[in-house]
Amino acid sequence: MVMLTKLMNQFRKIILFIIFIYFVSMMVVLGNGSSFLGRSLGNYYTPVANLVGLNTTWNFFSPDPAHTMYLRYIVHFEDEYGNPVKESIENLFPAEETNGDFRVHVRRMSYAMRFFSASPERLEKYLVPWLCKKNPGANRIQTEILYSRIPTLEVASTLSDTNYQDLVKQEEINQNVFKCL
Amino acid sequence: MFLNVYKKINHFLFENKVQTQLGLTRLFLTGTLLFLALSRQLNMDQYGLDAIISRSEALNIYPEFYRPAFQYFFWSDQWASVIHFGLIILLLIAFLGLSNRFLMLITWVIAQGFINRNYSMLFGADLIGTLFLFYLSFTDCHTCFTVKSIFRKYFLKNHIENKSNQKNKSIFLTEFKSEISSVFFRLMQFQLAVIYAYTGFEKFKGSTWWDGTALWTVFANPQFSQFDFIYLRNFPLFFSIGTFITLIFEVYFPAMMMFKPGRYIWLSLGLFFHLNIGILLGLMPFSMVMLAPYFLFLDQSHINLFSKYCLNMIHKISKNKSISESV
Repeated sequence: MVMLTKLMNQFRKIILFIIFIYFVSMMVVLGNGSSFLGRSLGNYYTPVANLVGLNTTWNFFSPDPAHTMYLRYIVHFEDEYGNPVKESIENLFPAEETNGDFRVHVRRMSYAMRFFSASPERLEKYLVPWLCKKNPGANRIQTEILYSRIPTLEVASTLSDTNYQDLVKQEEINQNVFKCL
Repeated sequence: MFLNVYKKINHFLFENKVQTQLGLTRLFLTGTLLFLALSRQLNMDQYGLDAIISRSEALNIYPEFYRPAFQYFFWSDQWASVIHFGLIILLLIAFLGLSNRFLMLITWVIAQGFINRNYSMLFGADLIGTLFLFYLSFTDCHTCFTVKSIFRKYFLKNHIENKSNQKNKSIFLTEFKSEISSVFFRLMQFQLAVIYAYTGFEKFKGSTWWDGTALWTVFANPQFSQFDFIYLRNFPLFFSIGTFITLIFEVYFPAMMMFKPGRYIWLSLGLFFHLNIGILLGLMPFSMVMLAPYFLFLDQSHINLFSKYCLNMIHKISKNKSISESV
């Protein structure tokens, strides 16, 4: 009986040791999942990692911190010949009033904006259908990213007498037009 | 030689009696997740029928490599609010220390479900916090700093002895649970170190981090920074030094945890670093989630010293208050 208990003790420790090694190696390999090591060994780890939430890379404010950006959309209401039947609606997503609002639930929408703005496919597949649904009668949505490029530290410090806002470069990028289906 | 290695591994992995550290980590982690969940209750439209990402597309939005095999959100969209309210209750129970391993795992499944349901509006705090909740659910984190332990300490002093007699009956199970707890305690330590290391490595890919100006881009961005720091452009060295300290702190975190003097310097630096991020950038939940596992690196004796100091301070303050009231 004593022998059996000892064996059981050893067995459970071996199992726990294997789990430990597996998890630690998973953390290390999937921390850089796109590397050669990640691609080679990924199949052994991803099924478990995707279940427990280890399916993520750890990149905060990296590779470079993002610049200020807003997502502007214009909702058009037109008839079949392209004539406006209703005044178009122009707005920011999330709404302009929430700029500078750091409450957690508001900030989540700002994070969502960055997520969707990252690719036109995401805009077309997720955000645009949602905007169309929110604006019944809309037939097309125009989107663009308002990008405020923060001046480099060298420029900002050298031109410290210049009004800061004059140093910020405003750009309108990634203009797209999507049809409401 | 082999026996020596075995003994060292055994001691390192299976003999950690760290209920105090785990209790403190639980308190801070579940408290932060509770706060995040309470604020997410205001975003429930994005988890229900009116969400930008429909239920059927929820997992498709993940990059293929990272896509979960199945969806944790077992509830229908109509029930999202109710289930989320349940999550809040479960987190409150865990915060008070009234949960157990099984309930904690259920809490984690629901939290993971909300992460899966809308991947677009996640914070780093959600991901890291939920991951640590998973690890924590296998540990003995419900022994210290709980409502039960406070109640026992002050009202049922004999209860502990009775309970320990009961425990002797199932020694095998108790030992096994303790070993699991010990292994997952080590996993949490490794996880935090890996997160810091990779966060640092990723930053090396960016030209502004290498250049020493990344912190300027963060602080000058009104979408990140709560306060106006533009006047600091007159002190560019502040940002440059801050950027390099951030990199050194993150990259060397795992190495510094291996020996005591370095560990305490780095944990103090981390505390300062995260409190700054929390206050200045309005990222307190993220900071708290990162700081919660710091307790796992502290010695029991130091925690006891610190709690004794805090209790003395409270006694002194209450004594002074009662004297001033009587005068």
